[in-house]
Amino acid sequence: MADQLGIIAGRSCSAVRFADAMLQTLGGVQVTLRLSDPSSGDTSSQLGLEAPTAEDLSVSPAAVKMLEPVKDGNRRMEIVVSGTALRVAAKNYGIEDISAWLLSMQGVVTNGGVWRIATVIVDKVCGADCLYHLTATE
Amino acid sequence: MQPTKDSFYVALRDRLAAVDPSRTVTLDGATRPAIAVIENEPPSGAPLLCDAFYLQWGNARPAIPALGNLMQMDCSISYCTKGSTQNGSLDRGRDLASLDSDLLSICSPAQTAKNDYCSGTPVPLGSSLFWTQPVLNTAKSVPPYVGRDITITVFFYPEVNQS
Repeated sequence: MADQLGIIAGRSCSAVRFADAMLQTLGGVQVTLRLSDPSSGDTSSQLGLEAPTAEDLSVSPAAVKMLEPVKDGNRRMEIVVSGTALRVAAKNYGIEDISAWLLSMQGVVTNGGVWRIATVIVDKVCGADCLYHLTATE
Repeated sequence: MQPTKDSFYVALRDRLAAVDPSRTVTLDGATRPAIAVIENEPPSGAPLLCDAFYLQWGNARPAIPALGNLMQMDCSISYCTKGSTQNGSLDRGRDLASLDSDLLSICSPAQTAKNDYCSGTPVPLGSSLFWTQPVLNTAKSVPPYVGRDITITVFFYPEVNQS
């Protein structure tokens, strides 16, 4: 029956809304991502002499869960971020590959520190990127 | 030691720009010759890019203990390619050969003047550094990628007043 009907137009919207509603239910916290501004590309920046400028980007809704520390004792956490919120932010920066963009960021701002984004996993439902799972390490 | 690292990188970068101007890469939003020192780049989780040379510094030790103060330091250069999608990655071997050719070109002549780049502009230090020729060992193949990790030994006299 489903094959005869084919894919229902717009059904991915319900999955996206469900994902956002789930994040809101879990607290709907706001996370701050720190992204580097484009490098000047000159010799000083290539030699690590010129610190890149950065800006903070607040994204919500999101959920944060602490994970077991890695073997060297560094803490890590999982941040689940709304695909809707990230798409809006990425559009403002002209970004198409959101996963690569997240991995290239300086990290997640937490308690004054910046935790590096180590992995990004995307939950894709009905063709829509609903949730981004970031693993950030101290 | 830092002037040695910086001078070696800048020499290879400038030679790459001259030998193969089209071999560029976009890192941190800036397009530059496709060579980078990992320790000078922002610590991100992003994977290393294909078709680019990545330098990583290793052990440093006296070249001949008890004989002068000549030092040697290992530098590994990693690079890989996956060919082109238009050719279904069948040309990855050819692309690797092109990278090999560029590497051999930029490593010769195996010496350069040592400069201090701490101020942002090169200040000649009046000495040179030199290095061994790269040996192209067996290529690593992890489909669709093929690449190499080669090690070059760089010889230099440490600057006593330099960090």
